[in-house]
Amino acid sequence: MTKNKVVNCTAFEERLSDYLEHTVEKDVRKEMAAHALQCPLCHGLMNEVKNAIAACRQVTEPKPALTRLDAQILARTMPAAAINCDEFEAYLTDYLDGFLPANVFHRWERHAVLCDDCTDLPGEVVRSLAVLVSYKSDELPVPFGLHERIMERTLGTVRARSAKASWSDRFQEWVRGFSIPISVPQLAPVAMMTLFAFLFVSQTVSADGSLSDVYAKSYQLAEQTYEQSANVWNGKPMDAPIVNQQPIDGTATVSNTNANN
Amino acid sequence: MEALRASAEVNGAELVRKARAGDGIAWEEIVTAFSRRIFNLAYRFTSNVEAAEDLTQEVFIRVYRSLDQYDAKQGDLANWLMRLARNLIIDDYRHRQRNPQNSMADAVDDHQYHLRAVGTGAHKEMERRELASQVQEGIDKLPADLKTCVILRDIEELTYQEIVDVLQIPEGTVKSRINRGRIELAKILRRMRVVTI
Repeated sequence: MTKNKVVNCTAFEERLSDYLEHTVEKDVRKEMAAHALQCPLCHGLMNEVKNAIAACRQVTEPKPALTRLDAQILARTMPAAAINCDEFEAYLTDYLDGFLPANVFHRWERHAVLCDDCTDLPGEVVRSLAVLVSYKSDELPVPFGLHERIMERTLGTVRARSAKASWSDRFQEWVRGFSIPISVPQLAPVAMMTLFAFLFVSQTVSADGSLSDVYAKSYQLAEQTYEQSANVWNGKPMDAPIVNQQPIDGTATVSNTNANN
Repeated sequence: MEALRASAEVNGAELVRKARAGDGIAWEEIVTAFSRRIFNLAYRFTSNVEAAEDLTQEVFIRVYRSLDQYDAKQGDLANWLMRLARNLIIDDYRHRQRNPQNSMADAVDDHQYHLRAVGTGAHKEMERRELASQVQEGIDKLPADLKTCVILRDIEELTYQEIVDVLQIPEGTVKSRINRGRIELAKILRRMRVVTI
């Protein structure tokens, strides 16, 4: 390309890579820069390629590890920030689990690089954990006769088929499936409520507060209810007074009101 | 996956229900399903085949007597049974530590058991067994409290919280014992040349 030539889009695309690598001649470079400013399509393409190259470099270039020299310089200049071997070991599992706080992380890595006693330790721990994983998968078989001994000591026989559930046991187990939906901690409030209900009924319905009187009065009340229902069925009016009946304690108000009417 | 898990839980509950009623086949199924896991757990703590066998029997006797206490709503059968087994095995291990005359009866014979169990004699299998016996030897050299935590965390794969529940010690103690146990084990295995850099 010469100075007189005008760079078009095709030529720009062809030499874009060289342009980005700074390997084109100075005058061509100027023309390409001018074209990129004028042409929005080529400008966009150039940015895309630039970004793609930057992304690739970011992925492929690993973060440089802390070198021994860096660690030595930091240890000399900031000795107070160093950790000792005990602290290093105390943080080891957190480091391997990735839970080490940022402020400790760098000090820990520095110690790992500088301390000859500790430098191999993380690798050894990782390897021994790997050994444990393979050890775990390498299970021993159950020793011969162990099953039989367990069956003998639990069921009383080594032949499982001979131990069958009896009908009564099966029935018991079946009934067990229908357990009352009140758990043990709920029993106390339920008992209290039952007690209060009984006291309330005995004090309001029963004349003397006794259980037998509660039954007697309940029986009378049931009889009255039946008689009222029978009267309604036979065509007698609902509010007709009930003859030859003594009001029951606790229900007297209703009966007396009806009688007064 | 969820459906499979739910079905396993239902099966566990059903097996326990039948075993509770006296069904021998259901109980045998439970024994077959868990005996290997429990035996291996017991072996890791005792390092002794006979002691592990006795312990496994004791665990199953206790489980059989406790079947009434199993409640499927509280968790699946495997969790319940393994929790019971772990508690018993750790109790036994602590007891053995307090009474050393009962422990480590014949550690050397036990390691030979690995070799006897090889069967085919294939070289690779032999090496694998040898490695396993060396790792067990390394674990045995750990102090009791560290050994318990390392087994529960790195072999049984319990969470920190589960270890706290089993051992009844604070979480910070569990974490520090796991950390210390791993480091000690790594140093032991390095000295034994099981782990090399």
